[in-house]
Amino acid sequence: MTVSAVPLSVRPAPSTPQQWWTLTTRMILPTLANGELATQIIGSIVFTVGFYLPLKNILGAVQPMSSYAQYLTPLIVLQAIFFAAVSAAFRSAMDALQGINRRFRAMPMARLTPLAARMTASMYRCVIALIVSLVCGHIIGFRFHGGPWHTAGFVVLALLIGAALALMGDLIGAATRNPEATAPLLLVPQVTLGLASVGLQPAERFPHWIQPFVRDQPLSQYLNALRALAGDTTPAAPPVTWAVIGPALAWVGASVVLFTWLHARVARRP
Amino acid sequence: MPSFDKAVVVDDLRKSFGSVEALRGISFEVGRGEVLGLLGPNGAGKTTTVDILSTLATPDSGTAVVAGHNVRTDPGGVRRSIMLTGQQVALDDMLTGRQNLVMFGRLQGLKKGEAKSRAAELLERFDLAGAADRSVKHYSGGMRRRIDIACGLVVRPEVVFLDEPTTGLDPRSRLAIWELVSDFKAEGIATLLTTQYLEEADSLSDRIIVIDQGTIIAEGTADALKERTGGAYCEIVPRDMNDVPAVAAALGALLPAEHRAALTDSSDRVAMPAPDGANTLIAALNLISAADIELQDIALRRPSLDEVFLQLTGQEAAPADVGAVT
Repeated sequence: MTVSAVPLSVRPAPSTPQQWWTLTTRMILPTLANGELATQIIGSIVFTVGFYLPLKNILGAVQPMSSYAQYLTPLIVLQAIFFAAVSAAFRSAMDALQGINRRFRAMPMARLTPLAARMTASMYRCVIALIVSLVCGHIIGFRFHGGPWHTAGFVVLALLIGAALALMGDLIGAATRNPEATAPLLLVPQVTLGLASVGLQPAERFPHWIQPFVRDQPLSQYLNALRALAGDTTPAAPPVTWAVIGPALAWVGASVVLFTWLHARVARRP
Repeated sequence: MPSFDKAVVVDDLRKSFGSVEALRGISFEVGRGEVLGLLGPNGAGKTTTVDILSTLATPDSGTAVVAGHNVRTDPGGVRRSIMLTGQQVALDDMLTGRQNLVMFGRLQGLKKGEAKSRAAELLERFDLAGAADRSVKHYSGGMRRRIDIACGLVVRPEVVFLDEPTTGLDPRSRLAIWELVSDFKAEGIATLLTTQYLEEADSLSDRIIVIDQGTIIAEGTADALKERTGGAYCEIVPRDMNDVPAVAAALGALLPAEHRAALTDSSDRVAMPAPDGANTLIAALNLISAADIELQDIALRRPSLDEVFLQLTGQEAAPADVGAVT
């Protein structure tokens, strides 16, 4: 009992930017050491190899674009970003389970700061996912043909989709408070939407009855918009028009509004 | 010095969850440097009270002022004045003990250097320096509890809420937390301690409030509460503990029903109020020797807080020796 446990100094005034940054780095730093970052990079590579090599001859012949790499890469990007959302769900469930959210709420900290920090960490994961999947795409032959504005549009749209998915993952984690359940829960939409989309093959290749779903579901809308923004050497890429980009933006906007609203409801639970 | 006389002032606090009335009009005060024990069975309303005082829940009616800040109109002021440790340890399991301390220091507004030196001090003080750079998910239960409390002390609190702080702790960690409470007293910090352990409330608290089903059913010092049950108790210890049921049977109407109900298979003695002092003891002794039961000891003594609790709530308190988990 040499030192008193109680500090004598006056309490400092907490600062919101400092709190946001502290909470962001606490989630980013462990990813460097615990293999999460490495898993994400390897995941993107495995996904590229696993879909491109076996399918390029079978499905490459039936798609309209200049190469299967050009056709497939938007799906690789979206799947990589989906993995980032799964990590977001896991972290959010851990925080909810460990009771650290409860502790934060009894501290001098703005209500939204922890969520803002988790979203920032999620966007860091999305940026990594985007870079790695674009490098993989480049290696198999994917190229941007639409000029700098369309390329920037591709990056911004991919990150917006990432934000919407991360918000969904965060919500699922906070609602279930069960880290182990988050990955299987998110695997269902990832696999069903991923396979029953225009990501691997055109809608016409699906059985007639499922074609409307394949064409109109959000993942296909995202893929169309990303393909339009990436462009192609042939006229087969969708045009960059509101009819193509609009639905993707509408899905992103609606998801963000819905998930934010649900999040506020979940956060109010005791 | 802070500009408030009473650290906590609670007046007619009420809170319902659906049709369940968790708090039915609770009022009490805690002075600076005072330790108030909030004692009651599970579901009595202890945690609801702590939740309201730490701004995690809002009361339906009534007022609560913590360190001069009203929980309803100035929750930010309350949050800047308190330290809360819940029943569950709340840490970031991905981080080491030191990283957790630095994180909480930064969240409370310390500069990077200050947060680091404060973390080192706390690790030393809580006997965790050796484990400082290990991930907290590998800590034992007692170590986790100590680092959890240390994280609340990166800056000075005016009011400390310890919600069942020693539940499930090994004796060494429990002792460390008891020592900490005397530090708080010495520093003029008010402590609100909720517990199911009478032994703990008895030895740490200046004053005890017994709460049951959302109302305060008794208030006072441990001594005053013991007086309330009418003074003396008679304790009868048979030579063979298997004779406890026989003793209970022999005592007949002398043993009140709630004390009879409190006996279990592991009871080694029978305790009961002795309203007539030595005369009760003699009456009991006569009944037992008539039944031909051999005794090891029979004596009059003051009631324990357990007995007070039993008398007040009609149910038994949690045994004080459970959960020696390491």
